[in-house]
Amino acid sequence: MTLPTTETRAEKAANWFDDRLTIAPVVRRTLGKVFPDHWSFMMGEIALYSFIILLLTGTYLSFFFDPSMAEVHYDGSYSPLRGIEMSRAYDSTLDISFDVRGGLLMRQIHHWAALLFVAAMTVHMLRTFFTGGFRKPREINWLLGVGLLTLGIVEGFAGYSLPDDLLSGTGLRIAHAIMLSIPVVGTWVAFAVFGADFPGTEIIPRLYIVHVLLIPGIILALIAVHVGLVVVQMHTQFPGPGRTERNVVGERMYPLYAAKAGGFFFLVFGVMALLSGLVQINPVWLYGPYNPAQVSAGTQPDWYMGFLDGSIRLFPAWEIRLFDYTISPVFWPTVVLPGILFTLLALYPFLEARLTGDRASHNLLQRPRDVPVRMALGAMALTFYTVLLISGGNDIIANKFDISLNAMIWWGRISLILLPPVAYVATYLLCLGLQRHDREVLEHGVETGIIKRLPSGEFIEVHQPLGTVDEHGHGELEYAGSPVPKKMNRLTSAAQRTRGFLWPVKEPAELQARSDTERALEESDERQLAGRPREPEL
Amino acid sequence: MTDRPSTVKGRRLRRRLSGALALALALGAVGVGYSTVAAAAAPKARAASDAPAADPVEIRKGRQHYEQGCMTCHGQNLQGVQDRGPSLLGVGEAAVYFQVITGRMPVARQEAQAERKQPKYDEAQTLQLAAYVQSVGGGPELPTGDLRGDDSNLAEGGELFRLNCASCHNFAGRGGALSAGKYAPSLDPSTDKVMWAAMLSGPQNMPVFSDNQITEEQKQAITNYIQTLNEERDPGGSSIGRLGPVPEGLVIWVVGIGAIMLMILWIGAKS
Amino acid sequence: MSHDSGTHRSQPLDVEELERLPMEERAKVASAVDGVNIVHRRERFPVPGTKAERRAERAVAACFLLTFLGAVAFTVAYVVLPWRYESGNQSYAWFTPVLGLTMGLALLGIGFGVVLWAKWLMPEEETVQDRHGGRSPELDRRTAAAVAVDGLAMTGLARRSLLQKTLGLSALALGALAVIPFGGLIKKPRGLVQTAWRDGVRLMTSDRRLIRPGDIQAGGIATVFPAVQDGLTTQVVADSVVLLIRLRPGQTVRARPGQEDFGWQDYLAYSKICTHAGCPASLYEQQTGRLLCPCHQSQFDLLQDATPVFGPAARPLPKLAITVDEEGYFVARGDFPEPIGPSYWERPS
Repeated sequence: MTLPTTETRAEKAANWFDDRLTIAPVVRRTLGKVFPDHWSFMMGEIALYSFIILLLTGTYLSFFFDPSMAEVHYDGSYSPLRGIEMSRAYDSTLDISFDVRGGLLMRQIHHWAALLFVAAMTVHMLRTFFTGGFRKPREINWLLGVGLLTLGIVEGFAGYSLPDDLLSGTGLRIAHAIMLSIPVVGTWVAFAVFGADFPGTEIIPRLYIVHVLLIPGIILALIAVHVGLVVVQMHTQFPGPGRTERNVVGERMYPLYAAKAGGFFFLVFGVMALLSGLVQINPVWLYGPYNPAQVSAGTQPDWYMGFLDGSIRLFPAWEIRLFDYTISPVFWPTVVLPGILFTLLALYPFLEARLTGDRASHNLLQRPRDVPVRMALGAMALTFYTVLLISGGNDIIANKFDISLNAMIWWGRISLILLPPVAYVATYLLCLGLQRHDREVLEHGVETGIIKRLPSGEFIEVHQPLGTVDEHGHGELEYAGSPVPKKMNRLTSAAQRTRGFLWPVKEPAELQARSDTERALEESDERQLAGRPREPEL
Repeated sequence: MTDRPSTVKGRRLRRRLSGALALALALGAVGVGYSTVAAAAAPKARAASDAPAADPVEIRKGRQHYEQGCMTCHGQNLQGVQDRGPSLLGVGEAAVYFQVITGRMPVARQEAQAERKQPKYDEAQTLQLAAYVQSVGGGPELPTGDLRGDDSNLAEGGELFRLNCASCHNFAGRGGALSAGKYAPSLDPSTDKVMWAAMLSGPQNMPVFSDNQITEEQKQAITNYIQTLNEERDPGGSSIGRLGPVPEGLVIWVVGIGAIMLMILWIGAKS
Repeated sequence: MSHDSGTHRSQPLDVEELERLPMEERAKVASAVDGVNIVHRRERFPVPGTKAERRAERAVAACFLLTFLGAVAFTVAYVVLPWRYESGNQSYAWFTPVLGLTMGLALLGIGFGVVLWAKWLMPEEETVQDRHGGRSPELDRRTAAAVAVDGLAMTGLARRSLLQKTLGLSALALGALAVIPFGGLIKKPRGLVQTAWRDGVRLMTSDRRLIRPGDIQAGGIATVFPAVQDGLTTQVVADSVVLLIRLRPGQTVRARPGQEDFGWQDYLAYSKICTHAGCPASLYEQQTGRLLCPCHQSQFDLLQDATPVFGPAARPLPKLAITVDEEGYFVARGDFPEPIGPSYWERPS
C-alpha cells in the first residue's frame, strides 16, 4: 500500500534520528506523559516563560550595554543630559533608550519581565506551600525553588544596578553599608566586593558578569533539575474522582497540554509586550547618573527587595557597642532577618514533617482549609512580609495619602508585632469554619432554596443530599479531600455541568440528546429529601 | 601765571577744594565706569533695580486686601499674632506672592503644613498684597524678565535640581514626604514665577536659596529643567506618576499577575 | 468510581495487529504501553462540518490573523514611525507604545488561537497514567547496593587508612587551591577614617565657586565640596560631601562636647552622608531644624548638633570644623573628628 508523501518524509526524518539515538520509546513516553490540568498548576509556568523572555531580551541588551565605570560626557540624543559627566554604563543605557531603534522597548520588556519573574515564583511558591506540594517526596524540589527565588531576587538587584543611575546607585550605597555592618569581616567583605572604598570602579563590571553569566547559568541549571524532577516524579494533583496516590489524571502532553502551555507562553509574552509598550518602567534618564551627593525623595528598590527596605526603615536605632567594636543597626534587619526568613522557608518541609510526624509520601495535594495550622502559619508569614513591604514604600504612601511619615513608621513597627498573631488566629478559625461547613453539607446536603411548609406549620428548607442517607437522613459520604459541592448547579455530573468561562457553552444538538438520556437515567433513582427526619405523611 | 592766595588759610582752603574736586572726579569716574560695566554684565533674568518703583496706589490696594484677609492672623503692622500667624516683616514680595497665588494663604486651618488650594486673590491682587508687604519690611523681591533662559541650560539645570531639590521634591519634581505630616509638594502645578518665588523665599520648611547661592542663571536652568520635564511626554508609555519602583511593583501585581491569573483561570476552565 | 484506575502494561503487541487498528484505537493501545490509559475522549464536534464547528474554526483563524496583522503593523511602525528624541516635537513618544501594542497583539493572537484550538476544536480527553515513583523495588535497591559496595571493596579504601588520610588531605588541598586565587579579590580596608578635608581646604560649590558668609541666607542650605583638584570626582564626593547650613535667627545649637567651636557664627557644616546607610541626608526643614534622610527616614535634629531623634540612624552626623580665612572664604579646620557614614565593626570611638 502506498502511504501519502508527507508521511513518508516525516517517517524518514524520524527514522534518521532513531537509527542513531534509539529515541522511539522516549518520544512515545514524552508525548504521552499525563499532566493534571488544574489552573493553579500553571503559575510556575509564568516564571519559566518570563525567564525565557528575560534571556531573549537580555541577550539583545548585552549587544549594546557597556558595563564600564569610566567617565564620559554624554553626547547622545537626549538633550537634557547632554554634556553631563557620567559612567559609560549609564551612557550606554541612555544610548539603548534613545539611540537604538526599539531599544527602549527591549529594556522595558526586560525589566517588566524581571518583576514578573519574581512575582510568578512567589505565587507559585504560595500555591505549593498552601497545598502541601512540598511534602515527601518533593522536598528537594522545594529547596530548588527557594534557591531559584533567592537567585532571582539577587539577579534582579544586580540587573537594575547595572545602568549606574541615581536610584540604583543609591541602592548600591545601601548594599555597601549592609556589607560594612557585618561583624568582624564587614569591611573586608565590602572592600573585596567593591575593590576599594565606595564606590570604586569595579562594582558595575563585576555585577555585569554576575548578572549575565554566573546567576543565569545557575538558574538555568536549577530550572532544568526543578522541571526534570516534576517530570520524573510526576506532578501532584488534587483529590477527586478517579484520582489516587498512584496515578495522575489529566491530559496527555501532546497535543492538548502542549497546545495550552505553548499558547500560554505567547499569552504571557503578549501581556509583557503590551505592558512594556504602554507603561514606562525605570526611566533612568529622569533619575540622572549616579552621584553620591545626590538622592531623590522616594528612593526604593524594585518590589521584591521592598521587604528589606521596610525592615531597615522600621528597625530602631539600636547600635551595639562592645568594647571597641560596633554592630550597626543595619545588620539585624538586612542580614540576620532575611537569613532567618529564607532559612525557615527552605527548611519548612522538614520542620512540618517533624511537627506532624508525617513521614509518608504524598502525591495528592491538600485543600488549604484541611491544614489549618499550615494555613495560619502561612498567613502569619504573609502578614509579616506585607507589613514590611508596605513599610518599604511608607514615604510615598505618606505623601500620597496625607499621612504623617512618623505615624507610618510607628504603624509599621507595631503592626509587625501585633498583626501576625491576629492573622494566625483569624486564619485558623476561618479554616476550621470552612471544614465544618464541608462536613455539614456532606451530612445534610445542599441547600436547594426551596422552602417547604410542613403540616405542623413549620417551615423548612429542602436539602438535596449528596449521596445515600442513613435512617436519620444524614449523608453517609466521607470527606475525601476534594471540594464539596455547595450549590445545586454543581451537583450534576461533569458532562452536564454548565461549561464555559465567559459565557455558557451551548451544547450541540447531538450532545444535548445524549446528555438528556444521562439525566433521565440519574433521575430515575428515587430522590430523598434531607433536612429533618421525615414527618409521617398525614 | 595765576594769582596765588597769599595767606596760609587761603592755601589750605585751595588744597582742600582741589582735593575734594579730585576725589569727586575719581569717584564719579569709578561710578560711571562701574555702572557701565555692571550694566553690560547684568543678567538678563531680572533687574529688580530697574523695576519701576512700586506704585503707591498698588500698595494702598494691597493694604486694603491685607486688612480684609490677613490682619487677623498677621497683625495690624505685620508683626504677627501669637499662635496664629508669623511676622511678615522682611519676608518680601516673593514670599507673599508664593503663598497667596498658590492659595496657601489665607490658610484654612492650622495644620502641619499649609496646603495649595484655590487661590482667593487673582494675580493683580496678589501683586498688590506683595507690593504692600515689600514696602513695609523689604525682603526677597519677585523676579522679572526671562525666567527660563534657553535650552542649552537644561543639563546644568538637571544637575542642580538633583543636587539641591530632588531630595525633597523627587527626581521629577513629584513631591515627597517630610517629617511628621509635612511634605514637599509636587511641582507640576507651579508656574515659573512661583518656582522662583519659592526658591527666593524658602516657604515654611523649604530652605532659602538666595541669588548668591543659586545664581539667577542657575535658577533659570532649574526652572527650565523642571518645566521641560513637566511638559514632555514620557517615551516609554504611561509614567504612572514618575514615582519610581513603588507604582511599578503595584502595576506588575495588579495588572501583570492579575491579567495572567485571569488567563490561567480561563485556560483551566472546562469547556 | 474511585477504583484504582489500573492500567496494565499490555501484553506484547504485534506490529501487524497494531497497524490493522484504526488511528484512535491505535493511539489508545500505544499509550497503554507506557501505562497511559485514555479513559475518556470526546470529539467537540462529532458531526463534522456543522455551523458551530465552522464558527469555532473561524474564531481560531481570526486569532492567528490578528498575529499576522500585529506583526505587520509592528514592522511598519518600527521602520516608519519617528523614534529619535527631539525636544519640542513629541511624536517620538508614540514609538515605544505603538511597538508594544502591536507586538503584544501579535503575541496574544497566536496565544489565544492555540489555546482556543485546544479548548474548542481538539477533542476533550481524560487520561490516567500510573505513577511509578517512590521506593524502588527491593531487588533494584539490593542490586544497586551490591554493585556500589563491591566497587568500594575493590578499591580497598576501607582498609587502606593511609590512602584514606592522604586522599582526604589532597582533596582538602585541591579545594583550597580552587578557592585561594580568589584571594586576589581581598583588599585591606583602608581610608575609612579619612576624607579629603584638611586644615585649610576651602569649601566650594558644585560649580567650583568658593563660598563667603552671606552667600547663604538664614534658613538656607548648600551642598559643598573640598576645593581640591579632584574634589568633584565620584570617589572623593562619596565621603567628603558636606552640608553647609545657616541657621535662622533665634536658633541655637546645643553642641556636642568638644565641638562647640566647630561652626562659624550661625553657620554649621556636617557630613552629608547619613550615618545609617550612606544616602545623602539632605532634606532640611529650616523651621524645625531637622535634617531628614529620604532613604530610611532617619531624622537628625540640627539644634542638637545633628543628633538622630527619629528613625534608624544611631549616630549624629559628623561635624566639620570650619572658619573663614583672611580672604573671606569658608575653609575647613581639619578633617572630620570621626569616620563619616555608616558604622562598621572596627569603627574607632
